Amino acid sequence: MSLRFFLATLARESRGSRARLAFFVACLSVGVAAVVAVAGMSASLDEGIRVEARQLLAADLAINGRRPIPPDLDLAKAGLAGAQRTDLRETVTVALSGPPGTAGRSQLVELKVVDGDYPFYGTLDLRPQRPLSELIGPDTVVVGSELLSTLHLKQGDILRIGGAPFRIAGVVLSEPDRVSVSFTLGPRAFLAPSGLARTQLEGRGSRIGYRALLKLPPGFPAQSIAAAKERLELALADSSFYRIETYKEAQPALRSSIDRVDRFLGLVALLSLFVGGIGVAQSVRAWLASRLDAIAVLKCLGMRPRELFPLYLGQTALLGLAGSVVGILIGSAVQLALPSLFPDLIPAELIRPWQPTALLRGLALGIGVAILFSLPSLSAVLRVPPARVLRRDAEPLPRHRWATALTLLALGGGVWGMATLQSRSLDLGSRFTGGMVLVTAALSAAALFISWLVRRLPRESMPGRIWMRHGLAAIARPGASTVSAIVALGLGVLVVLGMSLVERRLSNQLATAIPPDAPSAFLIDIQPDQWPGVEGILRQQGATRIDSTPVIMARLSAIDGRPVEQIAGVDRRERRRREREEEEGQDRGGRRDREGAKRWALTREQRLTYMKDLPADNQIVEGNLWTDPDVAEVSVEKDFAEDLGLKLGSVLRFDIQGVPVEVTVTSLRTVDWQTFGINFFLVVEPGVLDKAPQLRLAAARLPKGSEQGLQDALAASYPNVTLLRVREILEKVAGVLARIGVGIRFLGGFTVLAGVAILGGAVSAGSARRGREVALLKTLGMTRRGVVGAFAVEYALIGLVAGLIGTVGAAVLAYTVVTRGFELTWAFQPLPMGVALAASVVLAVLAGLAASARALERRPIEVLRAE
Amino acid sequence: MIPRIDISQLTRRLPSGGRDLTILDRVDLSIAPGEFVAILGPSGSGKSTLLALMAGLDRPTSGEIRIDGEPIQSLSEDALALLRRRKLGFVFQSFQLLGNLTARENVLLPLELLGPDDAPARADEMLAAVGLQDRGHHYPSQLSGGEQQRVALARGFAPRPAILLADEPTGNLDGATGRRILEILTGLRQREGTTLVLVTHDPSVAALADRSIHLRDGRVEREEVAQRETEPVPSLSEAL
Repeated sequence: MSLRFFLATLARESRGSRARLAFFVACLSVGVAAVVAVAGMSASLDEGIRVEARQLLAADLAINGRRPIPPDLDLAKAGLAGAQRTDLRETVTVALSGPPGTAGRSQLVELKVVDGDYPFYGTLDLRPQRPLSELIGPDTVVVGSELLSTLHLKQGDILRIGGAPFRIAGVVLSEPDRVSVSFTLGPRAFLAPSGLARTQLEGRGSRIGYRALLKLPPGFPAQSIAAAKERLELALADSSFYRIETYKEAQPALRSSIDRVDRFLGLVALLSLFVGGIGVAQSVRAWLASRLDAIAVLKCLGMRPRELFPLYLGQTALLGLAGSVVGILIGSAVQLALPSLFPDLIPAELIRPWQPTALLRGLALGIGVAILFSLPSLSAVLRVPPARVLRRDAEPLPRHRWATALTLLALGGGVWGMATLQSRSLDLGSRFTGGMVLVTAALSAAALFISWLVRRLPRESMPGRIWMRHGLAAIARPGASTVSAIVALGLGVLVVLGMSLVERRLSNQLATAIPPDAPSAFLIDIQPDQWPGVEGILRQQGATRIDSTPVIMARLSAIDGRPVEQIAGVDRRERRRREREEEEGQDRGGRRDREGAKRWALTREQRLTYMKDLPADNQIVEGNLWTDPDVAEVSVEKDFAEDLGLKLGSVLRFDIQGVPVEVTVTSLRTVDWQTFGINFFLVVEPGVLDKAPQLRLAAARLPKGSEQGLQDALAASYPNVTLLRVREILEKVAGVLARIGVGIRFLGGFTVLAGVAILGGAVSAGSARRGREVALLKTLGMTRRGVVGAFAVEYALIGLVAGLIGTVGAAVLAYTVVTRGFELTWAFQPLPMGVALAASVVLAVLAGLAASARALERRPIEVLRAE
Repeated sequence: MIPRIDISQLTRRLPSGGRDLTILDRVDLSIAPGEFVAILGPSGSGKSTLLALMAGLDRPTSGEIRIDGEPIQSLSEDALALLRRRKLGFVFQSFQLLGNLTARENVLLPLELLGPDDAPARADEMLAAVGLQDRGHHYPSQLSGGEQQRVALARGFAPRPAILLADEPTGNLDGATGRRILEILTGLRQREGTTLVLVTHDPSVAALADRSIHLRDGRVEREEVAQRETEPVPSLSEAL
């Protein structure tokens, strides 16, 4: 068979089937649109970040640390001679409106103290449009525009920060290195170092983050930046306490979270493509069923099975191409529309809508799904008996066992391959495939069981109207394509409801996480001599359950005589190797998190406290509390001890402002963090640290509505004390969660859409049969309403079964995620489950009736004449 | 001379209702090149099954079929398809035109499969031979039953098959149209020198054949040889 003949036959074979094949394209394009939207969006964000990398870092290199970055750091030694440096200090504090002596309104702000040129790259959008260094000085501040509106201030007004008054000299509209999607505790405030010196913040608070921005000299080769980073690490004395970022890595944290979201949402999108694949398989089956005679004639005229199969496969691939192109168009449109639909969710400034790799991925997955899912239906071509030209009931040719096996193998392998490609993880891809196979098997088994059950119902003796019985009978009819409709719709319900159940449970957890007697606010950085005064204000404001503990800031310097630098240093080499692996795209999520926790535990600024009796939410699980009179004892939280590799008898050496203190681990304890009480990883025996320089941490329960008043009062008298409102922070976390939830439900919607399209397709594929059925029923005297009723019962039953199985599946999925993934208790949520069930029924009835409209319209005589 | 079709002890059984039903029972038959054989018999006598077996559309339970001396009963599906492509043409009772192809494309199809250089010219020639040169661009649904069967005849003869198998070619047509179709069929057979095997239950159709084979209950009941000399064969141009 020549190529020309193949192509000509390909084109001819598509004639007359086009209307039916429109459904094929519809099913596929929904899934491809979801895939392209997700892949495009994340690739676009990633590219946006890479392109804007320098701006997002505001520098070529940045050194971050919890301790001051040595001012005498020798940049020349690191091969960075001629590099410019700007030091930043960042902390969260409270700002109070109005000049000293007046009562003002207060607000938590994220303070940034800038010493030098800032930013090196990107623009700091200021009003008035002057350089930042000209606007900030010893007594001026530049603030975020939202601070002005919250505190009812305008430019030129006075704002108190850390007890000192500042005139608002300017407003910042945007910062290059503050991305709109990241989590913030409050509006921005910029101070000059001379301004900070006037406040009571420096030296007292210890939660200052240090950051040095470096701008490389002109002509510095871009490829040497990684080497420069390594030399810089060597030049830093305690390099394990610092983290160096280069613009080449471009916001590794942000990009890695985009990557994680991309993998997860990519799989959700893939699921809707697979559901579309079920529709594709169904429409190919229906299409081939109408081509059986033609296939028999072609075989009769001497076309070989091996020539016929590629003909129909090619046809399918062409349709796959058409469906994918339509899907790509829809997906790109969605991508363009999303930033305006969800302005909080996606930073429009980072969107680069033209992403060839995403489009190619959509195309490849679309055609791949079209071919793979059609294979089982297409193999029917091989079995069409040519003798059908003489006898319609000619037996089908025997099934080729190898062809069936190969088809199933290709389908399974293809699904697995695509899932692995989408998730870029062998493990995740395998688990997704396994889950998908299990769920599909469960849905199919349930659908088959229901149709078996309905077949065995004694319909004659059943109460109810004739259309009720007729509708039930339709489900049980041999060859009814109910199974695929139920599987598709059920999968859709499962995804949307499952995700919504998890999200609701998590937001509910955040809303009710705070036990009724838990503190509603924490006060940090209280000087010991300020405590009586602060406590007085708390009582004045009606606070109850006031609790306060001393906090000693310390550095862990050695474990069992082995310096922490050495322990962390060993890890650092290992870490670099892993970073390199990661850039090469390898996967090792769990181990990286574990290593991260260990490193964090070692190098963090340790907060110690001392107390005689542990709070009620602590429980000793190993050892005993304060029993050895000969050693200074410390009690360590169990998980933290694991991260540090501690056991009973381990000796920890701390450095407290230059003074070494050694303590021995004599007990390990668990802490119920959900009580929100004040708790510490490290609790030292009383008497050891009593004389050490310390701050106080307090917690209290405030009457509703008194938080602002308390913050205002504290900011006026004790400006260095920061009040953190638990509820407000939890609400912010819930907000972030809700944004992710919106994304998942949006994509899950595609799955439901695909499911509904499939049901509609299944119904319209049988429209000829339905037309005959309607004609007969009408001829026998059933009214149009009666026929509609019978059809509605049939579709409602399909929706009900799909909804029921999907709901149960969603509950199982959500239960597993909530109890295993988030380690929370499960709470039954009848309302969303009921809504999902009802929606599934309504959608099925609407889609079914819409697809039967033509059959319902036909007059009996037209159909009967055509017979 | 090697017979065009040589059948010996051909048996076909089909499972039906838990037991085997014998459709053809040890049939022996030999057809010479260029011969026109009619197969007659009442419904269920095994006529169509015999035709399907000759065409390699079905497989015998036992016995042998040779086409030009080559046994075909154990050929693969692919080999059978190639055999049909090269040696066999078909005409069916229900025309079996492809509804999504025009009349001309239907005629062209077997030629394209075979791949001769003169395929388009031959298709046009055959359409003209059946008097449908002006209807080539019409789809089957736009043609009458008689016209559809003429297209089928053109398609059947187009690749110059050695054997043409016709299954009740006039069964779905009225008397006058049926007669015209038969005239074209026999005219084309004579012109092309094709071996024709025609299944029918109509003795007047069978009367046109060189030989008639009567089947009953799957067995050859009797054979009749026509007295050809006295009967004039209508010419193709007259039929049109």
